[in-house]
Amino acid sequence: MYHKTTGYRVFSYFNYAFMILAGLACFLPLLHLLAQSLSSKAAISGNMVSFWPVGFNVDAYVKTFNNSNFNGAMLTSITRTVLGTTISMFILTCAGYALSKEFRGRNVLMWFFIFTMLFSGGLIPSYILITALGLKDTIWALVLPGAFGAYNLILLVNFFKTIPKALEEAAFIDGASFFVILSKIYLPLSLPGIATVSLFIMVGHWNSWFDGILYMSDASKYPLASFLQTVVVQSNMQSMAMSQSEVAAMSEQSIKAAQIFVSTLPIILVYPFLQRYFVKGIVLGAVKE
Amino acid sequence: MRKRTDLWKMVSIVILSAILVAGCSQGESASETAPASVLKDGKYDPPLTITIAKQQDENAGKYINGETLNDNVLTRWGEQNLGIQIQTTLLGGDASQYNTKLRLALTGSEKLPDVLPVYDTMLVNDLIESGQVKEITEDISTYMPDRLKEIYKQYPTTFNPVVRDGKVYGMAIAPNLTEGEVMLIRQDWLDQLNMKAPTTIEEFEQVIAAFTNEDPDGNGKKDTYGFTFSGKDSYNTGWVSDPVMIFSAYTGKRLPRQWHNDNGKLTYGSVADGNKEALAKLRDWYAKGYLNKELATQGAWDALSDFTEGKAGIIIGRPWLYDSVKDVEKNVEGAKISAYPTIKGVNGDKTYQSAQLNDGVFMFNKDFQNMEAFFLYYDKMYDAAFSTGDFKYGYAQGYDYDIVNNEVTFDPTKFNTPLEAVQGVGKMAFTKNTPSVDGPGQSYYYLANGVKADTGVLIQSASKDQTTQDGYRISYENRDILLPNAFNGPPTPTMQNVWEQLTTMEQETFTKIIYGNEPLEAFDTFVKQWHEKGGDTVIEEVNEWYNQASETDVMTLMNLK
Repeated sequence: MYHKTTGYRVFSYFNYAFMILAGLACFLPLLHLLAQSLSSKAAISGNMVSFWPVGFNVDAYVKTFNNSNFNGAMLTSITRTVLGTTISMFILTCAGYALSKEFRGRNVLMWFFIFTMLFSGGLIPSYILITALGLKDTIWALVLPGAFGAYNLILLVNFFKTIPKALEEAAFIDGASFFVILSKIYLPLSLPGIATVSLFIMVGHWNSWFDGILYMSDASKYPLASFLQTVVVQSNMQSMAMSQSEVAAMSEQSIKAAQIFVSTLPIILVYPFLQRYFVKGIVLGAVKE
Repeated sequence: MRKRTDLWKMVSIVILSAILVAGCSQGESASETAPASVLKDGKYDPPLTITIAKQQDENAGKYINGETLNDNVLTRWGEQNLGIQIQTTLLGGDASQYNTKLRLALTGSEKLPDVLPVYDTMLVNDLIESGQVKEITEDISTYMPDRLKEIYKQYPTTFNPVVRDGKVYGMAIAPNLTEGEVMLIRQDWLDQLNMKAPTTIEEFEQVIAAFTNEDPDGNGKKDTYGFTFSGKDSYNTGWVSDPVMIFSAYTGKRLPRQWHNDNGKLTYGSVADGNKEALAKLRDWYAKGYLNKELATQGAWDALSDFTEGKAGIIIGRPWLYDSVKDVEKNVEGAKISAYPTIKGVNGDKTYQSAQLNDGVFMFNKDFQNMEAFFLYYDKMYDAAFSTGDFKYGYAQGYDYDIVNNEVTFDPTKFNTPLEAVQGVGKMAFTKNTPSVDGPGQSYYYLANGVKADTGVLIQSASKDQTTQDGYRISYENRDILLPNAFNGPPTPTMQNVWEQLTTMEQETFTKIIYGNEPLEAFDTFVKQWHEKGGDTVIEEVNEWYNQASETDVMTLMNLK
């Protein structure tokens, strides 16, 4: 009956209050953004919009979807995310399955992968490599460099290790090959792990902007995050030397808000469906026996 | 033990092969022979291509008619009329990304573009050191058209950052004195209170006091104040929401954060006497509620929202700022903004402001052989500024201007195919802004004096809002208050180490004094510490740079005397 004591009740009121505040802290910025995207320019530049649109209009959305650059960037981002996640997951499951077995040199291989987690060549060598491989200005420059992530690999390997060996042996006796075992036994059984890692990769691809700006010399090939970076962040205008056309484009806060809002939607929509695997995926994958 | 030796064997094999691979890839050499283009009747045949780097926000504003970065009305014009094709091969959005990409290009992983606009003095310096940019002393002397020479002659100091050992490695992008700042005041508030626009610091104080205490908007609430400005990044923003006028009222030409040429010796404005009096004034005003309460957290662009909302009565900025704050006339009924010159200093002299002479410099790939072609193209870009030739009115009909019923118009909504906004040349050419020779607003001054608007530049100026026009006219009439920064070289060695700390200390001290968190005497302590903590060495180095930069008479070498 501990939950009837005063101390417990005070604690749980505090808990509710805290969770509500934390929830609001996450939700209100989004609401503010939505209100801005539906407000008139004059009201926004006068700082008069908080959580309810002032001077309601949907121009910003019309302009956003009429902007071919925005739509192109959206398409690039979707292609990149789908392609990148598929390639990554293919490599990771194959590698993860193999590395979850005992074989000679396994630790050395693992060590190599972990090494890349701790040290990287840095920007210049990566750039030279991508340029020399002729990947610049193609979607492959966005997809390939990060396709194999050691952190995700470790999660998957540990997940695969939790699957009983006996299962695999039984399958061998029934005549299954490695690939059949991987696709028919390991993948379905480790769905939480796969979902978690996929979500990591997807969100990573969706949000990554720097590589887009770095490797694309044509802004029409930018993915959405790079596009937004140029529109939203850069216009903070630290520098006083800017062109008049940039100054003119500045004040369109409602369009920026609409673009940010639209761009967060897909990931918000995907999240609930994958989120339920999350706890299981990470905990199971991380705990070693 | 066995395992460990295995591992080292593998590591050494990997490293060795990496070295081998890296060594091999250097073997190839580029030996392309371009067909010789000949300049015939002002046109190259066969057409030649000039590759350029560009810092541009490609997503701000848009191309019309399905055009793109490398295929638009201006690139096609260049091909058809000059036989010169401009191709952007390096594109960066904001300053830091652009600089990063330029630095990466310097690694030699790809060909450096022929023409490099560079906006960072440190990078200018590094480019010169790298030996990958062209020395253009001779080229300027030989190929620069006379019309451009006349312009560059007026701005010899713009060459300072690109001179090394008496050799010139670049040139300013379209040098031209920028417009000066004006005071934008709520005229309806002045009228309501029967006041005149302030011209001295005392009058200024009276006006902002009245704006704060006497309910200028007549709503019966004390919800207005006098003066909004930004103190987030520096007390000399140089363009909008600038409080520098108050400092200059006491320090004259020694502006905060700026180097002033005092008879051949450069001094730093923030530590000058007089700043203390200015800070005392601001501190007093802040305590009385005359100033923007959040001035230290609001950037230049944020500080104007109080004005747009109808809470603040005075803001200072370049004349085009009116465009950005005129929404107040929509938000608040009866609101009206007027432009006035900035106030006079305590000694009766004018107050000064920082100004720019150019936005970055052009540098060139050392393998670039077609300087003549570059100058031919660059000179044509100036046609719009001089209202001559192909670009008499603007760059392209239906893009930045149009002719409707035999009248030239710069209002995009009145075009034959109405546009939301004009498409400026910035998206199409290698300069961010249209090259201008209008200075701080000469054309507006002419217009105000009754000159008929018959050239492109004049028509364009006449199409602006009246308040903007007034602002530019005031800016031109007071052009003697514009002070370009005397130091425009790369950060000196000591600067690289301590400058960040010094400016942070400066900013914190100024802000704390204004907010009343520290006594006024903190300024004296700051000055003392500033000198001790590296400021003295910086002053020495800056002067050394200045003497060195003005040592060789490069202007004569370039035939620009």
